[in-house]
Amino acid sequence: MASSKVGVEMEKLSVEQLKAFKEQTDLEVNLLQDSLNNIRTATSRLEIASSALQDLSNRPLGSHMLVPLTASLYVPGTLDDADKVLIDIGTGYFVEKTMAEGKDYCERKINLLKSNFDQLIEVATKKKSVADDATVVLQAKLKQLAPASS
Amino acid sequence: MGSSTALRELQRELENKANDLSKLQKDIAKNHQVRKKYTIQLGENELVLKELGLLNEGANVYKLIGPVLVKQDLAEANANVRKRIEYISAELKRLDGTVQDLEEKQNSKKEAIFKVQQRIQSLQAGKAKA
Repeated sequence: MASSKVGVEMEKLSVEQLKAFKEQTDLEVNLLQDSLNNIRTATSRLEIASSALQDLSNRPLGSHMLVPLTASLYVPGTLDDADKVLIDIGTGYFVEKTMAEGKDYCERKINLLKSNFDQLIEVATKKKSVADDATVVLQAKLKQLAPASS
Repeated sequence: MGSSTALRELQRELENKANDLSKLQKDIAKNHQVRKKYTIQLGENELVLKELGLLNEGANVYKLIGPVLVKQDLAEANANVRKRIEYISAELKRLDGTVQDLEEKQNSKKEAIFKVQQRIQSLQAGKAKA
């Protein structure tokens, strides 16, 4: 219903206005797509963190490991305390949490991102269809104009 | 002869106004970018505040200063983040004001340009008739 109404309004616009409108919506679609991609990468990073915690909690205390200092330099170490983890909660703040709390934190963040993602994807699909409609109407108008001008 | 100098005058005016307009548009775009940055920061700070609110009284909170983590009071961290949110919100409000101001200026500029264009057109039409 709403989209057909928009379609009717688009019919009334001049070619220039329609072009501007299409550009605007295309821009918005791209912006939303970028946001979706950002959310996706953030989610996958949190999933990696979550699985790392899972992995860490399964190791016995005192197990040997190599800790990366840089990408190519590792130093040997032993696992001393697997129950306390430091969590980066953003803007430079870190919080000491227990393993369970850390896992819970990751879960919560992933769920938050997922719900944001779902909301955003709805908006993005709607915008995309509006942009597609605009393209169709614009092309129809241009086709109508072409024989008249030639 | 007189009408052609007037025409030239008007065209110069039009050019000046167009330059002003593009400057205004640049300012608006810049403002939007700053606004976006602040909005993102506000969101992040709000998430941090929520997270701090979930912590127990005795929880260890660290602040990243350069490469080192410095231990900080939970209350202090809370106050810090709250102050930051306040500051960013105020900044956002101020930016909203400037953007509105700039947009009003832009609209009046556009109108002025339109008027000059009309005058040029009417002058040219008069010349064509003569």
